Amino acid sequence: MTGPIAQQTSGSNYVQRGGSGGGLADVVDLILEKGLVIDLYARVALVGIEILTIDVRIVVASVDTYLRFAEAVNRLDLANNGASQGLPQFLGGAQESGAKKKTRGALEGAQERLKETFGSSDEDEDEDEGKEKQPSRRSRSKKEDDE
Amino acid sequence: MTAPQTPEAPQPGADPQGAPAPAAGDRQVPQYVYGVTVADAAPPAQATGLDGNPVSLVAHGPVAAVVSDLPQGRPLGERADLLAHQGVLEALISEGTAVLPFRFGAALTSADAVRQELLEPNGERLAEVLRALDGKVELRLKGTYVQENVLREVMADDPEIASLNERLRSIPADAADAAYYDRVRLGELIARALEQRRDQDGQALLESLAPLAEHVVARTPMREEDVVDASFLVDHERREEFEQAVEKHAADRAERVRLRLIGPLPPYDFVPET
Repeated sequence: MTGPIAQQTSGSNYVQRGGSGGGLADVVDLILEKGLVIDLYARVALVGIEILTIDVRIVVASVDTYLRFAEAVNRLDLANNGASQGLPQFLGGAQESGAKKKTRGALEGAQERLKETFGSSDEDEDEDEGKEKQPSRRSRSKKEDDE
Repeated sequence: MTAPQTPEAPQPGADPQGAPAPAAGDRQVPQYVYGVTVADAAPPAQATGLDGNPVSLVAHGPVAAVVSDLPQGRPLGERADLLAHQGVLEALISEGTAVLPFRFGAALTSADAVRQELLEPNGERLAEVLRALDGKVELRLKGTYVQENVLREVMADDPEIASLNERLRSIPADAADAAYYDRVRLGELIARALEQRRDQDGQALLESLAPLAEHVVARTPMREEDVVDASFLVDHERREEFEQAVEKHAADRAERVRLRLIGPLPPYDFVPET
C-alpha cells in the first residue's frame, strides 16, 4: 500500500513537496513525453497535442536568459535591501505559460524601458526614430540567436 | 494469473452487461486509455476522467485497461485534459493500485478494440512489467540554485565575470542600451559557469541517492539555474529512507540549493519505451 501522498517525513522544512493533484508544471513533460504509447492503427489521431509539446519543450530563449543573469548580478548588492523580484519567480511563471508568451513579454519590456528612457521628450523626433529602430533590430538578432 | 473475472462487484466496463449509466449500445464509443493495471484492481474512487466521464476498467486475462469515454467533437490537449489524465493515474497510485501510465493521448475506437487490439496481443508483456513495478513508486527530484548566493560564488570564482560586471555597472543607466552586447556576454558567461557547477552538484546528488533507488533516470534540467532533475524508482519499503536522505541533502545545501520532491508519481519514466 502506498501511503497518503501528502505525507511528509518528520520535520521536513527544507524539501518542498509537490505533485499531489496540484500543479501540472512538475509533471507535464512526463504526461506528454513518457509513459506507454499505443502504437496501433486504431489509435485516434488527436490534434493539439503537438502544439502543447512544443510549448513545453522550448527552452527559455538564451539571449533573454543571459540578459536576465546580467541584470541579476547587476542588482546583487541592492538585493540585500529588500524586495527585488528574483529570477526564479520570473522564470517560474514562464515555464508553464510557454516561451512564446515570455518572449513577447520581454519585447514589451524592452519597449517600455525605451519609453522610460526616451519617451518623455517629444522635442527631437529624429533621435526618437533612431532609437525606435533599436528594439526591432534587437528582436531580429534575438530570433537569429535562438535558431 | 489467468482468472479473467473476479467474483465481486462487476467492474463497469469489465463486464459489458454492467456498463454504467447512459445508453445501451454504448460499447462503440471511443475509449480514452489512461493506463493499464491488474485485472482485479478497482477503478479509482477519487477521480473522474476527461470531461468528468466515469472511469472504468476493461479487463482481459491478467490485466485491465483504465479507460473512460473519449470526449467527442473536440481535440484533446487542454489543461483540464492533462489534469484529468494525471488525476486518474494519481488516484490509482494513492489507492495503492499498481498502474502502467500511458502517454497522454492514447485512444481506441471502442471497449472491444481495447480488449482485442491492446490487451489480447500485449497482455502477458504488460502483466510482466506490472509485476516488476509492483510496490514501487516514482519520485522526481528537482533542484534549483538559490540564485543570489550562487551568483555571488560565480563572481568570486571568475575574475572575468567580476570585472565585466564591474565595468557594466560603471555605465550610467541611460546609456545601458549601448552596452547591450556586453550584457549578453556577461549573462552568457554566467550561464556557462552555472552549467559547470550544475554538472558537479547534480552529479553528487545523484550519486548519493542512487543506491537507495531501484532505477534512476536523470534529465538535463530545463533552465540554467536548475541543478538537478531526476526520477527515482523507489521501493515502497525504502521510501522513507529515501525521503530522509533527500531531506538531509536539502538541509546540508540549504544555502545554495532548493530541492523539491514530486510524487509519488505513476512510473512514467520506468515503463518500456516501445
